[in-house]
Amino acid sequence: MSVLRDYAAAVTQPTLPFASPRGSSARFDEVIAPDGTLRPAWRAMAPGALTLTIEDLSRLNREVSMLLADEGVTYNPADADPEPWRLDPVPLVLDSTAWAKLDVGLAQRAELLNALLVDVYGERRMLREGILPPATVLAHAGYIRAVAGTGATDPHPLLFSATDLGRDGDGEWRVISDRVQAPSGLGYAMENRRIVSQVVPELFHGAALHRIEPYFDAVREALVAAAPDARPDARVVVLSPGALSETAYDQAFLAGMLGFPLVQGADLVVRDGKVWMKPAGWPETTPRDRVDVILRRVDAEWCDPLELRGNSQLGVAGLTEAVRRGGVRLVNGLGAGVLENPALLPFLPALCERLLGEQLRLASTPTWWCGDPDALDQVTPRLLGADPTLVVRTIDGPRTPLEASDPAGLVDRIRQSPHRFAVQELLPLSQAPTWRAPASVDARPVVLRTFTLRHQSTYRPLIGGLATAVADGTLPTASKDVWVLKADPADLDQGLPDATTVTVVQSVPEVAPRALDDLFWSGRYAERAEDLLRLVLAIRSDADQLTAPGLTAAQSTQVLVGAVQRLCGTRWLDLDAEFRSVLLDGVRPGSVAHSLSRLRTTLEGVRDQLSADTWRVFAATDRAGSSLRITPHAHGIGESAGQMLTALLALQGTSANMIRDAGWHMIETGRAIERALQVGILLRATMVDRLVGEVEQEVLEAVLRASESVVTHRRRYRGGLYASGVIDLLVRDAENPRSLRFAVTRIREHLAAQPLSTGSTRPERLLDQLEAQLDEVQVADLAMAIDDRRSMLHDTLTDADAQLREIARAIEALHFSAGPPLQTYASLSLTELTGALS
Amino acid sequence: MKYLVSHRTVYEYSEDVRNSLGLAHVAPRPVAWQQIASHDVTIDPEPNDVSHERDAFGNVVTYFHVTAPHQRLVVDARTDVTVDSPRYDDAALALPWELSRPLHTPDTPGAWSAAEFAVASPKAEHVAEAHTYAAATLTPGRSIGEAATDLMHRIKADFDYDKTATTVTSSVAEVLRTRAGVCQDFAHLALACLRSHGVAARYVSGYLATQPPPGRERIVGADASHAWLAVWLPGSDEWLAIDPTNDQWANDRYVTVAWGRDYGDVSPVKGIIFTTAKRSTLRVSVDVAPAPAS
Repeated sequence: MSVLRDYAAAVTQPTLPFASPRGSSARFDEVIAPDGTLRPAWRAMAPGALTLTIEDLSRLNREVSMLLADEGVTYNPADADPEPWRLDPVPLVLDSTAWAKLDVGLAQRAELLNALLVDVYGERRMLREGILPPATVLAHAGYIRAVAGTGATDPHPLLFSATDLGRDGDGEWRVISDRVQAPSGLGYAMENRRIVSQVVPELFHGAALHRIEPYFDAVREALVAAAPDARPDARVVVLSPGALSETAYDQAFLAGMLGFPLVQGADLVVRDGKVWMKPAGWPETTPRDRVDVILRRVDAEWCDPLELRGNSQLGVAGLTEAVRRGGVRLVNGLGAGVLENPALLPFLPALCERLLGEQLRLASTPTWWCGDPDALDQVTPRLLGADPTLVVRTIDGPRTPLEASDPAGLVDRIRQSPHRFAVQELLPLSQAPTWRAPASVDARPVVLRTFTLRHQSTYRPLIGGLATAVADGTLPTASKDVWVLKADPADLDQGLPDATTVTVVQSVPEVAPRALDDLFWSGRYAERAEDLLRLVLAIRSDADQLTAPGLTAAQSTQVLVGAVQRLCGTRWLDLDAEFRSVLLDGVRPGSVAHSLSRLRTTLEGVRDQLSADTWRVFAATDRAGSSLRITPHAHGIGESAGQMLTALLALQGTSANMIRDAGWHMIETGRAIERALQVGILLRATMVDRLVGEVEQEVLEAVLRASESVVTHRRRYRGGLYASGVIDLLVRDAENPRSLRFAVTRIREHLAAQPLSTGSTRPERLLDQLEAQLDEVQVADLAMAIDDRRSMLHDTLTDADAQLREIARAIEALHFSAGPPLQTYASLSLTELTGALS
Repeated sequence: MKYLVSHRTVYEYSEDVRNSLGLAHVAPRPVAWQQIASHDVTIDPEPNDVSHERDAFGNVVTYFHVTAPHQRLVVDARTDVTVDSPRYDDAALALPWELSRPLHTPDTPGAWSAAEFAVASPKAEHVAEAHTYAAATLTPGRSIGEAATDLMHRIKADFDYDKTATTVTSSVAEVLRTRAGVCQDFAHLALACLRSHGVAARYVSGYLATQPPPGRERIVGADASHAWLAVWLPGSDEWLAIDPTNDQWANDRYVTVAWGRDYGDVSPVKGIIFTTAKRSTLRVSVDVAPAPAS
């Protein structure tokens, strides 16, 4: 059965259960007209759309979830664990006629908001003339005085904005609110499009819709052009609050899509009233890479601990001064937050007439500013009657409605400082078909987020957007792709000429010390997980081969498990439980799951530098882990470990494609250090106590397998398997990529590529020492056992382990130091003395 | 009166500071009753970057960035200033206080800019106790001059001056609870009292020339930074400066440096340092020396 026909039947028969708390009878349906026929946009796609069955939709939904997991798309709700991003497989589709009206309205709105910003931070004519009551602006927490009236002349403080809209009962779009501080969602919109176009190719290709990639070219061009002195080689960065931010994925995706580095406040410094990338070794070193434009995803008050919020660790000290002097351009300007303000909405029609000399095209949802006594009188009876279609908001507070369980108390609170409040009417919103697990479709209310960019000399909305099926009872919020159909299939995508040729001539930016830190640890965790998986597999295949486990197998397995437990402690005596825990227990330090989770965290800090394929590794390891959890069979352990190893090897493949900058070399440094440590631990656990006979043979074979050196050994030592051969191959052999000696050489090579390395820095001197020591030892001495114990091997490896850890600490101290910590003058334990100075 | 004002701020740190970015509001601003003959700020070590600008309230603010390693930072401001006692329009003082509420009288000239000083600010929160406390003073129709003076008297009588009672971060609620504080606490309290009834008033920072006790020498450097407030007089668009700490209207011994919504807008010296130092010592020395009239 066709999903759309069922849906049409259901929404046109009010008896069917599509009722919602606000009553759906007044809702405009995005797909079905009141007479049961398809809306024009869907009519254009009817051939493909009408054949969709519920089974198709179920499959599409599965594919969407799978792709989102593969790409690691997440949303981090405040104070909670990251959630997978939810995308409904059914897009919101708008035809070109409907869009055209929205398009001019949005462009005008951005023009108006920009003009208003210029005025309230400059001449303040709108306040002086009484067109806008001063308290709507001056009592708003987003009014940043540090950039007010100081001649900071940014003619276009609004470069990029987002607007949330919903439809009223007549199907007209109305603005609910504007997002201008740090508008999020463009990255998610692009991601949604990529995924939907992959899963519904028939529908996608059948419809002539605007692609959205060309818009990113326009965004890139606009940001480069925003540089203060219009330098063609301007450096643009995306300033993020960090990987824990709610929309960290969106930020990193956007930065990656635009090709600009994603930085945090600690990665930047101010000097000479300009902003620079913080160089390695700062403050002893002088910054070299100037930053011209900052696309900020940090709210203004957190941007500068000197002039804004003193305890902020997210900002850059002196940034406001750099802005005032025109040394850097912030997008959007620091003061833009004052526009996220429901109190402005009732005054927009008059402001539009005064500032632009035009009538406001796009209406807002009906809003009353309580500072206007007439407005307050008008809404008071409805508030006292607890009218459910009203919502009360403070002018600068979060957008959650105020608790209205006590209407009289609420009205009292408003009357105490009426200028702080606005009352808004809730829009009925429109509804659209939305997937509901396990196998049905609901009509859910939707909100549309649009994006507008100042490109060249005009404001240009993205032809598309990000729609949200709003949370409803137990149903969580789900996003929807937004398709805007072309009037003529030959129309240019986004109305933009093909790939505007922006010449982004810029040197590869220096990698910030913080990012180097993350990259180093990503190398270490990846190697740690990989080596442990190889060891687990080596032991498993050993155990699997023995159909009738004898005494020797039990002994050799015991030795090898000892190596595992050296890496992650002992939890279980039962081997099966122990292996499962080693693979799956995320809170067990040293376990595969633990290393993978740390690996993910470190990579999230540098997401902009990584290919989207990177995230597949986690989707694959998550799947391998889940299947192991549900299977009781022992062979599941080997299977899952094998799948996890394959995924990690694929990760190496993606890093092989990275540009060979300091960051890549730091990943490899971390890998080499970890590999050197791991081989030492393995050998100490398995070879220090001399074994004999079959047990020795089995252990040596397993050690070679775990070290991926079986083939090399066979070629080097055509004869039998002897301890001395294995020790030579894994400790001294400078040609074997799995040897300690080889790893030490790699550390040296990769470290030499760091900007701060001189050949004689402390980590390099420590490496000299370790290399000399390793070159001096004789394999015969290492292999020699006295009283069945190879003391020399033990001492050499223990010493190397200590030195490697010291080298790692020296690397951290030299290369990752973000400089001394930032404090306010008043934050040190201050002894204040007042009075005469001697 | 003519004064030579010296305001010296010295920070000493237990270890090197490599980077120090600061903002100083230490330059007295020219106003109708106050002329600045000369003003000079020196910062030691020599900043790598320094600029003097006007902030959103028209005060002079000095931005500096010291990059030389140091364990001692000195901000030394010297000003040659002549001050008269401010004079106010009697008719403006006699208007009922209700007219000093710019949000209620948006059409009064100057109301649009006074509105900024009639709403709550971060350090002068409108706690209910402040509103209640002020209600006894703000009786219907009372003149603004009388009401402001009465509030000043009451604060002086009801609150103890106590340097140990509060810190720069004390809130209005704490001051009301402990019934004690220092000049900026009383200024914030008075602001919260007035603004919570809609009256526009601003925070003023500056210096007060102290008088030595009879028969004693004036002690150099014993003066202090001071803070008071000024209440909007819509009749003349002037601001009546009152000092609840000393229970008097500001006169020719008050040197005005800067004004804003509260202390946060005009703190004399604030900044950010990059250091591993754990301790610092701050010394502030203010000297308002009467200069011989020329």
